[in-house]
Order: sequence, then structure tokens, then C-alpha cells
Amino acid sequence: MTLNLTDAEMAALEDLAAKKDLNKTVVIRQALRLYQMVDQRLREGKKVFIEDEMTKAKSELMLL
Amino acid sequence: MEKSDIYLQRSGTREDVDAELWDDISDLHLDLWRSTWVPMLDHTVRRLQSAAVPRENWPQDLHWDWGKKTDWSRSLLTLQRFAITCGGALQGLTLVNLTKLTARLPSQRGKDLAYIEFVSTAPWNRPEIAGVQQFHGIGINMVRAAIELSRNEGFHGRIGLHSLIQAASFYSGTCGMSALGPDRHYDDLDYFEMTPTQADAFCRPA
Repeated sequence: MTLNLTDAEMAALEDLAAKKDLNKTVVIRQALRLYQMVDQRLREGKKVFIEDEMTKAKSELMLL
Repeated sequence: MEKSDIYLQRSGTREDVDAELWDDISDLHLDLWRSTWVPMLDHTVRRLQSAAVPRENWPQDLHWDWGKKTDWSRSLLTLQRFAITCGGALQGLTLVNLTKLTARLPSQRGKDLAYIEFVSTAPWNRPEIAGVQQFHGIGINMVRAAIELSRNEGFHGRIGLHSLIQAASFYSGTCGMSALGPDRHYDDLDYFEMTPTQADAFCRPA
């Protein structure tokens, strides 16, 4: 398959690859793994939160 | 499912024994777990209960249900399973997560790693359960499998895990991993990480 990305998307991909010491294919594969895992958790009736380490405030990660 | 040839060491004589590392946990492996591990683990639970050993001192994995862990993980791309067999017997099981954590060591912070979620060794390889140990080398081969997975996934051999206190010296000494201390987010279990350089050293032939 061919993956078509906008300039902004490609810039984000390249930035993540550089930060994470990964090639761009691996970044995409990691994104797919995470997306699938979160989707599975939500299907199981679980909630996924982002927690602020300092304040302990939680914000729910929504996936539609 | 593919297998690789590995070696375990027979206890006592320390002779190398041919074994197999499988890149998944099959139904046959689960049948072996149910028919050979579970009865010994159940017996151990009864022995600990009758001896009134506090539950916090029990081996942590006595109640791990590898059937459930395997079934749940099979559909998820982030979870990779391994099994080790030797002489037709199941010797070890492992579950590795590719997205659970990122590295915490300052030199590696934020970079992806392969996180070893669960490792179990057959009861007959555990003196605290069987009183004797048939084979050595299951843990080393499982760590090596996680490193190889990490390399294949582009993580350069980085791995991480939380360890029970009785296994800490194995991960820091034998494996050469860095100890980052107790993790208050994870029942205060000690957290260990291996850098790409440490992975190279660990995998270098002696």
C-alpha cells in the first residue's frame, strides 16, 4: 500500500522518528499497535485516561 | 509459528541440551501447561496454605492463567508471546509488550523498548517449588528473545521489566541490566532496563 501524508503529517512523523530513534515505518507500526490496544480496551468497557503526574488530574482519552 | 534452536543446561552436570524457542504460544503449549504445570502449581498452593505461609511470600505467578493471557493477547499487535520446549516438555512462557513503556534511563529517555510483562518457568526448574531444578537457562533465553524482538522492531535491543526482589540479582548481575529502583506505580517492584550497548554485551558470545 502507499501512504499519502500531508506536509504537516509527514513533519510530525519525521519529528517522532527523530525523537524516538525509530524509522518512519516503525513509528507507523507503533501507532497502529497503540490504536488497536486502546480500541480493544474501550470495547471491553474500560476507560483510558491521561493523568497529570503533579496534580493527579485525569482527562479521558476519547476514541470515536 | 517459527522456532529457533537454543540450548539449556542440565542441572548438576551443566551439559548443554538442545531446546526450542517458539515465537508464539500454541494450543499444544497450553495443553502442556494445563497437564504438567498446573497440577504442580496447585499442589504448591495447597502446601503453602497448610504451612500458613503469608500470601505475599508465595511465588507471584502461581495463579497466572496462561490460557487467558494467550487468548487475550493473540489479537493484539502489541503483545508478542514466546515459549521454550525441551525434550517435548514445556520449559518456559513469556509475554512481551511493545508499547507498554518507554525508556527511563537518562541516556535513553522516551525511546521505545520491548517490555517483558510476564515470564514463567516450569515448576520442575524452580527449587522453591520442586525442591530441585532440571534445567538452567530459561530466563537467559527469554531475555535474549526479548532483545532480538526489540532489535527486529527497530528498538535497538532496548528492553525493560519489573522484577520480584528474588530475581533482581539475575537481571542486574547475569543480564547486566541497569537497576532504576522501586517503581511506586507498580507495587514498588524494582524496575530494570537494558540499553542497546548492554544488549550487545549480553548477546556477545562468551
